[in-house]
Amino acid sequence: MSVIEKRPKLIVFTIEECPVCGQKMKRPFQAGDYITKETTKCSKCSNTLRISLIYAENAKQS
Amino acid sequence: MSIVSNIMLQSTIDLNTLFYILYFITFPIFIFYGQRLQMMMSLSEVGRALNRLMMMRDKARKETIDYIKDVGKAPNDPSERIDQFLDYVTIMPVDLDPSGIVNKIDHIVTTKDERVRAEVKSLISDTNPVTLSVSENLLEVASTLNTIHKIVRHYYLLGKKTNSYFLIYQLQMIMPMILQEADALLNAVDTFKQGQPVGDGIGPLVVSRYMVGREKQPIAKDTVMAVSEYKGRKLYILKAEGPMGYVGQPGVAMRRVIEEMGVKPSAIIMIDAALKLEGEKTGEIAEGVGAAIGGIGVEKFQIEEVATKHKIPLYAILIKQSILEAITVMRKEIAEATDKVIQRLNRLIEEKTKEGDTVLVAGIGNSLGVGQ
Repeated sequence: MSVIEKRPKLIVFTIEECPVCGQKMKRPFQAGDYITKETTKCSKCSNTLRISLIYAENAKQS
Repeated sequence: MSIVSNIMLQSTIDLNTLFYILYFITFPIFIFYGQRLQMMMSLSEVGRALNRLMMMRDKARKETIDYIKDVGKAPNDPSERIDQFLDYVTIMPVDLDPSGIVNKIDHIVTTKDERVRAEVKSLISDTNPVTLSVSENLLEVASTLNTIHKIVRHYYLLGKKTNSYFLIYQLQMIMPMILQEADALLNAVDTFKQGQPVGDGIGPLVVSRYMVGREKQPIAKDTVMAVSEYKGRKLYILKAEGPMGYVGQPGVAMRRVIEEMGVKPSAIIMIDAALKLEGEKTGEIAEGVGAAIGGIGVEKFQIEEVATKHKIPLYAILIKQSILEAITVMRKEIAEATDKVIQRLNRLIEEKTKEGDTVLVAGIGNSLGVGQ
């Protein structure tokens, strides 16, 4: 009864976005990350980056 | 030469006749004992699936105990309390007289939720609300897997005891679906432990974009509200409070906004995840009418009641995904649907309302990993 198909390995990423200049950064998920959390300074305009998305994609795709 | 060959050569029996005789012997055996043979095969298959369910239950139980000990910093060994909790029963009210049953179900479910929260609070010493909510979610997963295993085991043993082929055969037919759901639940354990957003969190994720930078206020248990604006319309945005893993009380929240606060929305728009049919793509967006909310039906009843009483149109935006994708970490296709959903939401607001109107927008789903 092999209904549980082999699933590809997933890697979780965090997308940080600057609310002012729109710069986006993609990095691996870290414990404590959540959407709308303010993180570091934007390298372009020095405003605070905010986490806009957290998602998983296949290891092959990434 | 062998003895058999000698006998065959000496007698008039050839190979064809031998097979013919064997056929006549085995045919009645399959007629009289075929069903029993099939039953043995079905029992073996269901037995193997039952073992898998037991391993899944044990793994979920262990992960829950480890989380409560390590992250929750439980002062004592919580294993015994957790084992007791896994067997908790919620007895639904009698439905002989269905009138007023929704309120009774609401009362029972609220009592259960409060009890679970109190129990978990007494087990852990970490006061972080995310830890508390994740512990509750893990206990729920372990409890569900325990229930699934018990029910399957009951029918398996009953079928074996009574030699009921039809009972075992029915169980065998639905086992693939049961295993799929159990596997999805087990996969959810890792996601909950990490505090990562799940696919079901797409509704809260979409509305959180409208809430950023706005003042948030609690409106119901585990539910927050913010007031925003879009092209001259006033938006009342509701979602479960994140990044904790709660679904909130959108029904109670809507009733409070409309009846206690006196807000008169021209439309209620609900955004939720929906189960996709086989062949549909993950992240596909569908629009419709009606209360887009799952669960036992209490919240749905409350929303429909308040919308009907005040004659407010109910619109829905649904994001398609599978059961596994809904309760495990949010997939890229679902996350990337956020911008498309926002476009559809904005278009719906512009088409169905005019400037100066008020719109109530609710992001339905589990807010784990989604702040506001």
